[in-house]
Amino acid sequence: MNFALKLSASVLALTVAASAVFAQDAAWWKKAAEPYQGVTLHGVTESSPPSNYIREVLAPQFEQLTGIRVDVETTSWDQMFDKAIKDMEAGTGIYDMVYIEQDIIYSYLARNFLTDLTGLLADKPELKAATYDEANFTTFANYFKDGKGHLYGVPMEAFIKIYLYRTDLFNDPAIMAAYKAQTGKDLAPAKTHEDYTAIAKFFYEYGKANNLELWGTTVQGHTGHPASWYEYFESVAPTFGVYNWGIDANNNYAATVEHGGTMNSDTAKKALQWWLDLRQYAPPETDQSTWTETGTTFGAGRVAQGLIYGENAGWIAADAEKSLVTGKVGVALPPLSDGVMGAAEAGKGYIGYYDGGAFGLPATSKNKEAAALFLQFIGQNEVQPDWAVAAPRVTNTATYDDPKVVAMDAKLGGYYSMLKNDGRLFAGAPPYPFHAQLREATAPTFFKILTGELSASDGLDQMAAITEATLTELGYRK
Amino acid sequence: MQSNRLGWILLAPTLVILFAFGVLPFVYVLWVSFHQWNPFAVDPTMVFNGADNFRKIVFDADFLNSVGVTVMFVFFAVISELIVGYFLAQAFMREFPGKAFFRTIHTLPLIMAPIIVGSVWKLMMTPSIGIIPHYMQQWFGISVNIGTSPFAAFTTIIIMDIWHWTPLVTLTLIAALVSLPADPFEQAQIDGANKRQIFWHITLPMIAPAVVATVFIRLMDALRTVDEVWMLTGGGPGSATRFVGVHIFKEVFPKTNYGYGSTISVVVLYLTIVVCWLLYVTMLAPRNTKKG
Repeated sequence: MNFALKLSASVLALTVAASAVFAQDAAWWKKAAEPYQGVTLHGVTESSPPSNYIREVLAPQFEQLTGIRVDVETTSWDQMFDKAIKDMEAGTGIYDMVYIEQDIIYSYLARNFLTDLTGLLADKPELKAATYDEANFTTFANYFKDGKGHLYGVPMEAFIKIYLYRTDLFNDPAIMAAYKAQTGKDLAPAKTHEDYTAIAKFFYEYGKANNLELWGTTVQGHTGHPASWYEYFESVAPTFGVYNWGIDANNNYAATVEHGGTMNSDTAKKALQWWLDLRQYAPPETDQSTWTETGTTFGAGRVAQGLIYGENAGWIAADAEKSLVTGKVGVALPPLSDGVMGAAEAGKGYIGYYDGGAFGLPATSKNKEAAALFLQFIGQNEVQPDWAVAAPRVTNTATYDDPKVVAMDAKLGGYYSMLKNDGRLFAGAPPYPFHAQLREATAPTFFKILTGELSASDGLDQMAAITEATLTELGYRK
Repeated sequence: MQSNRLGWILLAPTLVILFAFGVLPFVYVLWVSFHQWNPFAVDPTMVFNGADNFRKIVFDADFLNSVGVTVMFVFFAVISELIVGYFLAQAFMREFPGKAFFRTIHTLPLIMAPIIVGSVWKLMMTPSIGIIPHYMQQWFGISVNIGTSPFAAFTTIIIMDIWHWTPLVTLTLIAALVSLPADPFEQAQIDGANKRQIFWHITLPMIAPAVVATVFIRLMDALRTVDEVWMLTGGGPGSATRFVGVHIFKEVFPKTNYGYGSTISVVVLYLTIVVCWLLYVTMLAPRNTKKG
């Protein structure tokens, strides 16, 4: 089912829901919204399936219920941040809701950009909807809380970056036999980096030998876009045991091995080299691939396996309008080095990237109360299942058990089950208020590694030194 | 006096707008350029640091690299556009079947927004799906990948710029050529001058003001190229196409290094003015002096 059909079905479902589930609360929403009639709320977010669902389904539904109009602007990832930050920095108050990606929340909190939603609702109990409860959210909501446990954003999407593989290829008897003959091992989703490389190499050669448009793996390897930087630091390095970008925040933000960091450690260099070497088995578009293109490459059936953002897993696995591999997709945990799983289970490490975002209320908003109503509306358990089916994301615990979501889980090869059971092993970006600043300071050097101007070893040495210099300049490192 | 006052009154709205949206922002950027200011630093306030930013820029390898890449891009792109644009203008001065159609087609790229141009070329250049790498491989056996080859990325951006902006040069030069009087050309032919002599001694000097104006416009545009490059390569591979406009964007927006980013902007503005002034002095000033 394509996204438009899903939206139509969701609109219908929500209309029914509105008349049934919300009927008892409709009077409350109407009364709570009375003081804000004529208000138009403005939001800005990244153009993604979950955001489009808000714009197309939830915003009209809220307007129908309350009379408060909601205009949600969906744009590109960088434009979204650019617009939101400029608005909040200048205090113009254009936006009443902004998308907060998990990794930027610490910067926003450091700059006091956001409104304390917990505090606002406590101060104004007349705004608190009975159907909204912060306890309904999964633990992902913790990323959007301050030290006191107050929430600054209503989670709207959450997903993990998973190891996606082609079940039709992995379960093909002839291919399995050929793999066994070549490697002496059974063909199964890789548990180790060595196995992952072996599988990538096998399918690369298999594609060549059979004149197929098939390669061994995706690599998010754009040579001029931060997507490649992210894939290494947030999805690859942790699987080798290098966490938090190799920076020790408790040790004066050390990055170099010399000062106690791990960004240029032997393990980090090994991790980077492993990832760089995978490119030889990846399709030609790899060097221009961001997180979007790796999903597209997988959906086009051009690779046997890859690390793919969960937000793309839904359409790859189930949307026949866009994907050529529907029903042929399995999910697995990423390959790991020895000791990494143990560290993750002990809460001392993590095995991959847990990403997502929330809708926050800028401190500069001129319509805080009306916006708080809308944020509660999209945070209710009742609106979640259809949203999760239309765009694979789960932010409320109860959503996992909804029959529609359970059915969708089967189509997604068990992705929701993995998110529910193993989500705790993944982690979001480290809590750095200098996220984008450090990324941009080190990215040019990282791109030189990708183009071969620098070796992985020299490049990481330089990046670690640049990191410490940048953090000193910003005042974080003393 | 009455006429003078009326003139100022009529000009006033424009002057106010220019002052508000041109002069004031420039003065503000100039002021910020003398400060250290990153809102995501431990101290997010503006701290006056004198000429430190300007001192830093001299040793900033990334900035110097971006200037070098930009100068090369501007040189090759503008020269190529001028040459191709002149020949096209000469072609359009003659009558041939389908002239109006070709002239319209030729002008179409001009009306496209740079961001769209970048997107279209990205689609055409992406390996596996792009038409250009496909046919380069099929017809010539050449593998083109702007994600790995700095030369391919740089060359593609120049070709893209030529495709996008040559029509502007052509139109300007057509206007200049059309306005030339016939007498000097007839006189030169009677005196036995050949085509090359007519071009160097009559055509070129007479259209020089239009050529210089066109070069000024293209030069200033090319120096601040961002959108197309952003879409096509993001400044990569590595820093091969990190033009100064892209460098400033990355410094000011994602890095939020407002102070240093403003310094770079001011220096680039200064360089642009110097280059344009040099062009003016070498190409037009001697001519004007002779007139005087």
